[in-house]
Amino acid sequence: MRLPRLLRRSVRAKLTALVLATTLLALLVNAVALVYYNVRDYRETQLADVRTQAEILGRASAAALAFNDREEAQRDLSTLQARADIESAALYRPDGTLFASYLRAAEAGVPSRAGPSGHSIAGDRVSLFQPIAEKGDPVGTVYLQARYGLRERLLAYLGIAALVMMGALAAALLLSEWLQRAVTAPILEVTEAARAVVERRDYTGRAGKSTEDEIGVLADAFNSMLKEVQTREDALRLADRRKDEFLATLAHELRNPLAPISNALYLMQAAENDPQATGEARAMIQRQLNQMVRLVDDLLDVSRITTGKLALRRERVELRTVAQNAIEAVESMIRARGHTLRVELPPAGVYLNVDPTRLAQVFLNLLNNAAKFSDPGGRIEFLAAIEHGELVARVRDNGIGIAPEMREEIFDMFAQADRSLERSTMGLGVGLSLSRRLVELHGGSIAVRSDGIGRGAEFVVRIPAQQSEARPPLREKVSKNAGEARHRILLADDNEDFAVSLALLLRGMGNEVRIEHDGAAALAAAGQFRPDIAFLDIGLPKLNGFDLARSLRALGATTDSILVAVTGWGQPSDRQKAKEAGFDDYMVKPVEIEKIRTLLGQWSSMRGMLSSAGPPVSGSIHSAMPISDSASCSVSPASNSPPPAPPASRSASASASVRNGPRSSLVCFDSQ
Amino acid sequence: MRAAFAFILLAFSCVALAQPSEQEVKAAFLFKFPSFVEWPQAALRAGPIVIGVAGAEDVATQLQQIAAGRTVQGRPVEVRRLREGEPVAGLHMLFLGRSQSARLAEVERQAPGQPLLIVCEWNGALENGAVVNFVRDEGRVRFEVALDAAERRGLRISSRMLAVAQNVQGKL
Repeated sequence: MRLPRLLRRSVRAKLTALVLATTLLALLVNAVALVYYNVRDYRETQLADVRTQAEILGRASAAALAFNDREEAQRDLSTLQARADIESAALYRPDGTLFASYLRAAEAGVPSRAGPSGHSIAGDRVSLFQPIAEKGDPVGTVYLQARYGLRERLLAYLGIAALVMMGALAAALLLSEWLQRAVTAPILEVTEAARAVVERRDYTGRAGKSTEDEIGVLADAFNSMLKEVQTREDALRLADRRKDEFLATLAHELRNPLAPISNALYLMQAAENDPQATGEARAMIQRQLNQMVRLVDDLLDVSRITTGKLALRRERVELRTVAQNAIEAVESMIRARGHTLRVELPPAGVYLNVDPTRLAQVFLNLLNNAAKFSDPGGRIEFLAAIEHGELVARVRDNGIGIAPEMREEIFDMFAQADRSLERSTMGLGVGLSLSRRLVELHGGSIAVRSDGIGRGAEFVVRIPAQQSEARPPLREKVSKNAGEARHRILLADDNEDFAVSLALLLRGMGNEVRIEHDGAAALAAAGQFRPDIAFLDIGLPKLNGFDLARSLRALGATTDSILVAVTGWGQPSDRQKAKEAGFDDYMVKPVEIEKIRTLLGQWSSMRGMLSSAGPPVSGSIHSAMPISDSASCSVSPASNSPPPAPPASRSASASASVRNGPRSSLVCFDSQ
Repeated sequence: MRAAFAFILLAFSCVALAQPSEQEVKAAFLFKFPSFVEWPQAALRAGPIVIGVAGAEDVATQLQQIAAGRTVQGRPVEVRRLREGEPVAGLHMLFLGRSQSARLAEVERQAPGQPLLIVCEWNGALENGAVVNFVRDEGRVRFEVALDAAERRGLRISSRMLAVAQNVQGKL
């Protein structure tokens, strides 16, 4: 059943219809019951009345009948004139013959003989024969005919009922109009607010709450939803604005290093024979490249945070090592800006179960910020200590400080407190956000304190220490010259420039290098070339890197070869796949020559150890997954004095790695 | 059965002889008077209502016919013909024919306060102690009542009977 249009659209009309319908029904039932009862009652009353009248008449006329006194009987009958409803009456002798009669109107008549006792109703008339007895002695019969009047009565009743019904409906309508306002007014208010939202996208309006009933709850819920929507919309706008700013910054930051690189290349061409100029140009290129790598690493981290794929790789590591890695990475910048750095670290021997790379990244970020946001010649302090079972690291500066209202906001993604400052490197505005996330992943917290603009700032990182009393793992000094050992190296990469440049580097280091540009060719070449080490691109044509690795492992000539995946993909799932395919290590492009040098050094020392020490000592086996993350080696020092194992790089920690199976052994290095 | 027979007879006679005789009417009246009269409790113990008739043989006969097998106020009606000098003790009602005016005086003297409904049929009877007296009015038999006489004899006469009386003496 479909309701009329008006009823479907308006609560008010519905309520009115409801009230009217229920009232009408109640009144109808009531009226029917009343009329029915009244008709019955009227009939009984009328009959009783006529009977009584007949009784009175009979008794009064008994003597007249008994003594045959017609005149007296006539007089008795004529008293009926007072009764307008009685149309005719008659008295009969005991033998049934007519004795006397009374006719109200001329056209009325009476039966000529007495009928049997009892009443009958015909049309609108009731007639009655009633015997008369005097002290048990029958003296005759009385006859009465009266207007029943039921029809008039019924009409009168129905008329009254109709009037009452109309009155009651009108009253109900008025009352419901009045009462409805209590119900509909709050609904209308909510509706009005909702309409404002739908039609004008205006989330600032609020539904007035005038009752404490369900509608009041509805209004509250609606208001809190509006508030929530507004908050979210504001947050979305802010995030959107931040993203726009971030994109602008990103473009700017990515473009920035290109000019110096281009200039440096030009310089190298122009001043080919000037070793000092080319050296400076190289250094410049390296610095700018490092800057770009860091930017891209940050971007990758941002994407990991937003997709929830940022995971820690905890290991036992000495606090000093982590801190010094960070310091070394930021040293050049601090020097360049003429700051002084005071460092207080706990004595050697404090080991933590943390992700060293990530923690170093946090420290580096804070130190970087301190250096960046202090005017030249500033004072920076880096204090790390174990307090009450937790690591507390403080980075203090006397720089530009932070306005109180910005204290929380600076931890937001893409937030940059002061974009008007002409800082040499602005960064992407993700550092603090990333740092906070990393610290939280460690189960810790990061807080900032600043006395205001120009008053410096202090960042405090707290991480549960989980100190261990266990002995530090066995350490081995990696031979400094290990990287110079000769190897047969297979390079499989469809990017010719990359492959050729890498081959040149490797050959320059005294290795024998073979290049293939697709997977099938690489596999074919491997059989006779028998490489010690193979760098395999994952996205190879014809045979992809994973399948190629499996095939090489199956091939007798390369079963024991060291297989390194080189790819643009750095997701943990990719690493896992690489591990399953049989890769020993994993490098994310861009591959830095330092890392390759380090790896080669470790592998050769491992090989040497294997050949000299025989089977590995079981107690020294390290169970860490050897595949490393070179994408996050954001703390590589920019200095051009390459240590054999750059301490901050992820590949460095990866070098503390193990090969599975019979080839497994332990290689550690001392980063100091 | 006999009552029904008598009733039918009476009804038949009424219809057949459209003009009933004076004696018949008087007998019928006499039969109906007890319905409208109340005797003192003491006078009406168990037993029939006794109606004495003197000097009116036709009426006595008619009355006997009417009363045969019928009751008034639940009592049978006994008709007793009174001879000369017979006392009125035990009677509830006494009808004296035209010739009995001396007897009226005698009854008045003998039992002046006895609850006895004395009915006569001559002019002036009420002045001599009768309670009810038949009169002729335009050829119809009617009756007059002496309330003081009734009161003296401890009788109460229904107002409805008084209503059809031609004349009522000695208003209460």
